Amino acid sequence: MFELVYGPAWFYGKDIAMDAIGILILFLIGIFSLRCYKINPSKKTYLWLALSFFMISLSFLFKILTNFRIYYDVDVTSRIAGRLYSYELVKYTDILFYIGTLAHRILMLLGLYALYSIYHEHTKSEAFLSAYLLVIIAIFTQSNYYLFHITSFLLVALIAWKYFQNYRKNRSQPAKLLASSFGIITLSHFLFCFIIFSQELYVAAEIIQLVGFLLLLITFIRVLKDGKKKKPA
Amino acid sequence: MARKRSRLDIITDMLASIQDKGGEIKPTHLMYKSNLSHDQMKSYLDELVNKELIDKIKKSSYDYIIITDKGHSFLQKLREMQEFEKTFGI
Repeated sequence: MFELVYGPAWFYGKDIAMDAIGILILFLIGIFSLRCYKINPSKKTYLWLALSFFMISLSFLFKILTNFRIYYDVDVTSRIAGRLYSYELVKYTDILFYIGTLAHRILMLLGLYALYSIYHEHTKSEAFLSAYLLVIIAIFTQSNYYLFHITSFLLVALIAWKYFQNYRKNRSQPAKLLASSFGIITLSHFLFCFIIFSQELYVAAEIIQLVGFLLLLITFIRVLKDGKKKKPA
Repeated sequence: MARKRSRLDIITDMLASIQDKGGEIKPTHLMYKSNLSHDQMKSYLDELVNKELIDKIKKSSYDYIIITDKGHSFLQKLREMQEFEKTFGI
């Protein structure tokens, strides 16, 4: 029904920790954007930015829950080694995996699309149609995982390109860091498209994605630091 | 052509002008520095006093406007927001 594509056994759990770091960073930026929206409610882009970061963050949470459940069940099954019991566990895991993966993919694609739409104006009907198509992609790529990764790669690449254009316009250091972090995250999404060929590619993609998220955190810290430059007299 | 300043931009300019002058400024100086008309300035001042971001004091028979601690921290938030906007291009 769907494909399980994982890294090597020694990497189990480490990818969960890496994704958890990503969740925290995305959530932090989402909270900040929401606070900005509360100060300036006339600027709806703050709300959209917060919403998109929350959706991507939640998407990773579903990925973690799914992976955690599977790693845990594989462990239990191998220790008990009872045939019938193992079969029931796997079936139970299948359902959880299906729901978790679906939620992860839908939220990831919608979150990325929401972020992309901030910079590209759409009519309501166009936005609805695009969101519908992304949900369809998420549902029907359960058996073709790479289609999901190609779609998310394209969305992240377009967002990264927009941030690079923004850097060229204002030449600020945080804008450069932001463009670089999304460039690195784009590279990780590119590698995720090929993880079926090698388990090590999954490890590399996860590590590169973590580097991208850490650079995003550095960007955020730099934004706050630059905002504080003029200290109260 | 420069874009029209938003309400928040004007408030940022006013609070920054007071801060740049060491935390206190004469109303006429603030009016010129913030590039506002007399009526606009009065309306903004009332709002900022109500929100306790600034205060009015008298010093050797002159009126002064001072920035409060709340005003300082609000200005910092506004500057962080400006930097965030610039970085994310929003």
